[in-house]
Amino acid sequence: MKATISALSLSLLLAAGLGAQQATRTQPVEGIRDNGTGYHALVGARAVTSPGQAIDDATIVIRNGLIQSVQRGASPPAGARVWDLTGLTVYPGFVDAHADLGMDDVPEGGDVGPTHWNPQVRAWFSTTANLRDDQDRRRALRSQGFGTALVVPKQGIFRGTASVVNLGDAGVRDRVLRPDVAQSLGFQRSFELGGRYPNSSMGTIALIKQTFMDAEWYKRAWGAYESSGRSFLPPETSAALGALEASVEGRQPVIFETRSEEEYLRSQALAAKFGLTAWYRGSGEEYRIIDVLRESSDPLFVPLSFPDAPDVDDPEAALNASLADLRHWYLAPTNPGQLADAGIEFAITSDGLTSVGDFLPNLRTAVARGLAPDAALAAITTTPARYLGIDRTHGTIEAGKVANLVVAQGDLFTQDADIRDVWVQGVVYGVTRPAQIDPRGTWVVQSDEQWGFRAQLVLEGTLNRLAGWIDIAPGPNNAQGVRVDLESATVVTETGRLEVRFDGEELGYEGMALLAGAVTGDDFYGWTSLPNGANPSFRGSRTAPFEGDEVGTVAADVPEIDLPFIRPAMAFGVRALPRQPDAVIVRNATVWTQGAQGRLENADVLIRRGRIAEVGTGLDAPRGAVEIDGTGKHVTPGLIDPHIHSGVSDVNETGATIVPEVYMGDVITHNNVWMYRQLAGGLTTAMIKHGSANPIGGENVIVKMRWGSLPEQLKLEGGSRTVKFALGENPKRCCYEGRYPDTRMGTQEIIRDHFLAARDYEREWQEWEATGEGLPPRRDLRMEAILDILNQELLISSHGYRADEFLALIRLAEEFGFKVQTLQHAVEAYKIAPELAASGVAAAVWSDWGAFKMEAYDATKYNARILMEAGVTVSLHSDNQQIASRMNWEAGKLLRTGLTEEQALTTVTLNAAKVLAIDDRVGSLEAGKDADFVVWNGDPLSQFTRAEQTWVDGRRYFSLEEDAALREQVENERRQLIQAVLAASGNDRRARTAASGRN
Amino acid sequence: MRTNQDRVMTRPTGRFAALARHAAVLGACAALACLPLPASAQVRMTVPPQSERIALRGATIHTVTNGVIENGTIVFNNGVITAIGADVEIPAGTRVVDVSGKHIYPGLIDAYSTVGIAEIGAVDMSNDVNEVGDFNPNVHADVAVNAESRHIGTSRSQGVLTTLTTPGGGLISGMSSAMALEGWSWEEMTMESAAALNVNWPNPNPRARRFGGFGGQDDANPPTYEERVQQLKNYFAEARAYRDAVAAGERVRSDARYMSMIPALNREIPVVVSADGAAQINDAITWAKEENLRLVIRGGDDAIHVADRLVAEDVPVILTSTMDAPGRDDEGYDEAYRRAAKLYEAGVKFAISGGAGSLYTDRLPYEAGVAVAFGLPEEEAIKAVTINAAELMGLEDRIGSLETGKQATLLITTGTPINMTSDIEQAYIQGRELDMNDIQKHFFMKYMEKLHQRMRIIS
Repeated sequence: MKATISALSLSLLLAAGLGAQQATRTQPVEGIRDNGTGYHALVGARAVTSPGQAIDDATIVIRNGLIQSVQRGASPPAGARVWDLTGLTVYPGFVDAHADLGMDDVPEGGDVGPTHWNPQVRAWFSTTANLRDDQDRRRALRSQGFGTALVVPKQGIFRGTASVVNLGDAGVRDRVLRPDVAQSLGFQRSFELGGRYPNSSMGTIALIKQTFMDAEWYKRAWGAYESSGRSFLPPETSAALGALEASVEGRQPVIFETRSEEEYLRSQALAAKFGLTAWYRGSGEEYRIIDVLRESSDPLFVPLSFPDAPDVDDPEAALNASLADLRHWYLAPTNPGQLADAGIEFAITSDGLTSVGDFLPNLRTAVARGLAPDAALAAITTTPARYLGIDRTHGTIEAGKVANLVVAQGDLFTQDADIRDVWVQGVVYGVTRPAQIDPRGTWVVQSDEQWGFRAQLVLEGTLNRLAGWIDIAPGPNNAQGVRVDLESATVVTETGRLEVRFDGEELGYEGMALLAGAVTGDDFYGWTSLPNGANPSFRGSRTAPFEGDEVGTVAADVPEIDLPFIRPAMAFGVRALPRQPDAVIVRNATVWTQGAQGRLENADVLIRRGRIAEVGTGLDAPRGAVEIDGTGKHVTPGLIDPHIHSGVSDVNETGATIVPEVYMGDVITHNNVWMYRQLAGGLTTAMIKHGSANPIGGENVIVKMRWGSLPEQLKLEGGSRTVKFALGENPKRCCYEGRYPDTRMGTQEIIRDHFLAARDYEREWQEWEATGEGLPPRRDLRMEAILDILNQELLISSHGYRADEFLALIRLAEEFGFKVQTLQHAVEAYKIAPELAASGVAAAVWSDWGAFKMEAYDATKYNARILMEAGVTVSLHSDNQQIASRMNWEAGKLLRTGLTEEQALTTVTLNAAKVLAIDDRVGSLEAGKDADFVVWNGDPLSQFTRAEQTWVDGRRYFSLEEDAALREQVENERRQLIQAVLAASGNDRRARTAASGRN
Repeated sequence: MRTNQDRVMTRPTGRFAALARHAAVLGACAALACLPLPASAQVRMTVPPQSERIALRGATIHTVTNGVIENGTIVFNNGVITAIGADVEIPAGTRVVDVSGKHIYPGLIDAYSTVGIAEIGAVDMSNDVNEVGDFNPNVHADVAVNAESRHIGTSRSQGVLTTLTTPGGGLISGMSSAMALEGWSWEEMTMESAAALNVNWPNPNPRARRFGGFGGQDDANPPTYEERVQQLKNYFAEARAYRDAVAAGERVRSDARYMSMIPALNREIPVVVSADGAAQINDAITWAKEENLRLVIRGGDDAIHVADRLVAEDVPVILTSTMDAPGRDDEGYDEAYRRAAKLYEAGVKFAISGGAGSLYTDRLPYEAGVAVAFGLPEEEAIKAVTINAAELMGLEDRIGSLETGKQATLLITTGTPINMTSDIEQAYIQGRELDMNDIQKHFFMKYMEKLHQRMRIIS
């Protein structure tokens, strides 16, 4: 932004600094001492002393860095330097609760010392100990009115401790207000720090959990060592784990830097799990989780990073702009206003902006879009001051507080007003200078005879955003008169010179023409700079003055559009969850129970409070039951897919070979249009799996398609726990040169070795618990997950293709005394069907996938058939978001292999539930099970059939009628938003022209 | 002549003897112990050309072009249909096959396939689809077709009897070859070596590409869309100049690539342009008009946005993704499913092809069937994988419908071939009665035998 550049260029010290008292400074003075009085009186301004409180014609007396008094109309005390601020407005200095001062660059060669084995864990890093002179960023913040900031480190996942500092130009020893007040945590690794693990969102969360647990252990381990009289060797040293002690004990807040509303929810879950005192840097998407935020009073720092408008310049681009992006573009500036309206307290931070100079313009946009000016002021003064524990000294203009002030030439929140000065601890820093002249109006300009230039120049706009045009009369270079919009019009503030630029093309020049000169009253004398190098002089006179405000009022630049809250915030999002009727009855349908009752003609299904109550013919329904006429329709259990990857932020953690400690349930995203599409195809339950990069991958999560819910509510309550294993080509070829394993033999051995390691881990714990001797063992999430596998509490769901690798895994499990739950893909399972039957291993296979790689070459469509013949529990699975949305057709394909219709359908219903060990809840239409069912317009196994309604938990999450209404809503919103983008980009172009009128 | 007993054992078609066998396995194995599976019967055998006149009698015949004949008879000899109708005289010496209660359809045609030139997805050495370079009009798919490809048998089992096997890559990929999926070698299978010239319309939003796989070099400045279109135009201009120079008797050095483009320049064969976006399709139409080519659009994800022009300029479309994901988040879940019905309503002529190329040509029936679930009349869906595909590729005088004089390339089914609820029991290609075995049925037979052996041990 131009404004920033201008502010920076003018940021200078206007009054002598206040030297620290002689007796309290440690550094001797070299040369002559520099001692200003530090005694100032600011008079005549309107002082907004705190949100909602103002004093006109205020006299603010500052002495020794503190505010001595604030009084209306008082005479300045003798001896004070008087600053006449008549016509200006004074605010309390702003407080940025989450500032990036860029001081934590990774040192060359990386960090040294016993910090932490993982370079992303930098909890030991102190912003106080590493405070640097970072003049540019400090000035940039100051030019936006900030006098105080929480400086937050940004490198790594555990990033170190943040400190409250003032933003004056004193040396680093005179800047810290509160050292190391909070630990900073982010969900994105820094590549500069190196290391491979973690490289996924779920891996990051696993590392965070393990590290908090390790910090707790670290303290205990050292305690045990000391209290034992040092009778054994000490535990390892880790500066990072030591630094986390205060956080795990809840004494030091942890600030989570979130990049989405989902990361906010993930942070909240972590904070609850470890009893942390949590602070949150928001993402700007908080308006999507207002219901959640209402329940929390944790400090929240909201950024003002508003997205650029989606490209809608041509019809195809407009077609490609998503409603999610269009909506967020429109709603992001309303985020602070929506939070305030909901009674949620928050601070506003400059963090997250591409340029800090966007802060005030964006804040004004937020105000124009619904945030009350007082609320805006509170969010950058009193609220952050209280969050940071400096409210006794900062945040308001009161006697006794630190003299941090913002002097503005108008209302900073509703007007395009410049900040004139910023005071930090009684020292004033100039930001912009006022215009010395007002050149606005209509001028006639005429050059000397030689050039023959005659024009009318019109200057308008506000003083700090001049704009206008020039009407050039016919002359030697232009046969006809032309009008050219000005490229810029600038008043050079200190000298009152006016410079006007416009494109010389119409005059036959390639480049800019410049008129520069001095304005005195209604006269304008100067010379011209033409692209050809000529400098004819000119003379102008004002023929008409301009009437207008010196400072413009900021208004919303978009039309009012009614965009109701929807979740998820994208196409087909819903305003609320569908209601759960007390009773529902489907009448007179063909009902595929997939249970003992088989398939029933002209049958009814009765649902009570989300559960199947009864299936049969001629059922009675309670009064008021929702009736569904099933005549000519088919009703089946909701379809189940034991293998999808949609609906999570990441799929693979490839940073380590064995990663059962990562949990897909930690990174579910509800902003997933596939869930809606899958519902539309009758899918009601699915397992979201970790990827296949690791012999032992992460823990999977089973979800229900509760479209419109937040991630935590999607999880199947009490569902089985399963872990991904992967055999064959994928774990062999993955990740990086030299990673073990590179053969199926090695895959088998690395799994075996980890099984053995878990047994050792278990024994070490048992021994310590029996004797209490030696160092207390630490809880190792990876080992505990493997123990859960060995104890069959975490069921193996193994990716693989070939018969040999499956047989090897099954025998390995048997060697350790447990069984494998499910083989997935299992392209060659048919080759070992009797062995699988004997071992009780289930299989989830494809209908007709194969030959897409070497190990899939022996695929046969008869796989499910052979397995079923052998007595193996077999289901289908998709491993593909689109196929997951039409599993009934996948099942239908099995008809051509000789399965009966009910056998075919069971592969996507009851057997799929058995594969996931959730058949006590779902998979068939039997009394007591969840009311998850689909109403089809015909035979569900027919390619010509489609789903008409999909119910989950006795709630109708999809129906063709609702779908039609949602499509209309999508179209309606898209149309309005695209028009709004076009209108705003028109405004933008005008604004750009106008803004360039500033130096 | 094989006996009926042989047929059951050696040609496991569809749901062959399914339920009886199922019950038996789960019960005792006594009945199964006698299931003979001679090794020679487990592979797909290639059969000789039709040597005797055959009449299929009593079926419901779906001619596609001349309506449905109930209780009809179809007679063919030397691979060609000689009579078809409800009341057909069967010459003496004809082998008559009673197919009462069955349905007869023309064999399905996949207008975009790589059957025979792509075998295993991730095994590069098994694939012969993309030649090096931007301009390969002279490569012909047929000469690389592996007659022993596993995908031939599996495609036939799902009713696909003819493929337009098509090379890929570059700006001009080469010639699609029309292949009948029966024969000892590609030579025997080839119906048209140069059936269509394939052009990949440039991407309007070229992105920096990475060469040499991960860690390879970036092409930071890929050619712009305009530059790529210009390259294409220039290539056609050069080819035209070459043709005209040769025609004028000029002594020019031979150019294999320009030479191969002459049938396309002369509108003797279509130019199939792969294009999905509206701008791409529009620009391709403008270009083809300037070049006076017989244009066919392949892909056509956004064709509905250009429908009026496609109709006005008489440009047909090969839809490749009727079972695909919607292209955009804001589109309905059924966007791809409905594409065919929308084009039909708009009056655009189209064929439906298998979206995934070689490996999944056997899914072609479902690519057509899904359109029926979402509004396309069933007979139009059948046309989209038979006569329309044949017409687009200039094969309509030989295949695509059941008419006297056309090839006896047909299916005997229990119902519509584009729905999984019916089975494809037998197929004929050019009058040859196919061995319906395929690799997948082979594995079925072999591992059912394993099951039977284990059952015997247990009992």
